[in-house]
Amino acid sequence: MGVFEYRQATEVRDAFAKHEVAYLFIGKAGAVLLGFPDTTQDVDVFVQKSEQNGLRLVAALLQLGFALTDKQQLEIRQGRDFVQLNNGPFDLDLLFGPDGIERFEDAWSRREEVEGFMVCSIDDIIASKKSANRAKDRESLPRLEAFRTYLQTRGRNRTEKDV
Amino acid sequence: METSETRAWYAEFEAASKRSLETRLKYAFIKTYKPVLDDEPYRSFASTAEYRAWCEENLPDWLGYGRV
Repeated sequence: MGVFEYRQATEVRDAFAKHEVAYLFIGKAGAVLLGFPDTTQDVDVFVQKSEQNGLRLVAALLQLGFALTDKQQLEIRQGRDFVQLNNGPFDLDLLFGPDGIERFEDAWSRREEVEGFMVCSIDDIIASKKSANRAKDRESLPRLEAFRTYLQTRGRNRTEKDV
Repeated sequence: METSETRAWYAEFEAASKRSLETRLKYAFIKTYKPVLDDEPYRSFASTAEYRAWCEENLPDWLGYGRV
């Protein structure tokens, strides 16, 4: 299994768009898309839990080259809360019920779009990591919170320049 | 409160903002073998709590997947 590359990221974006999958990048991968400079091994995608979205997601994953058995396709369609895929061109974690976020629709209303990638807001990424409360999350939180402050400050500076 | 560490981070964030998305992704994603976690082609869990409990029971502590 190779490292996740820009080309693969665009293939995910394009396949999910083609099949109209309701999704959001989350975790550090999401933060990286927002501009956070750091390293990660995990590609985490928050997916809306519904039968129709599950069907669309399976179609997109098959197009991307994930080797899914009938049973696995059924589980993804049913929306088990956490699915770890190591059976494709890159590793991918599907989260249907991430910690710290009540409903997909709420996160969707707060989303950022970066060059066609749908991404959780930095507030939701931080809330999810805080709620998960793992050792690796604790380590990354101070820097992520500083990044949020940076984004807010940069936004203010831009607004002041625009006035 | 701004410290020398956060000032250094802000400088990194500003530098990163000038890089293309392609460049940012190129240096962000890494791949190293994660014992146990990488040993199965597929796993699924009915709930996130079940997944967290599995991580704590099955993964080495140093991977950092255990709750604090």
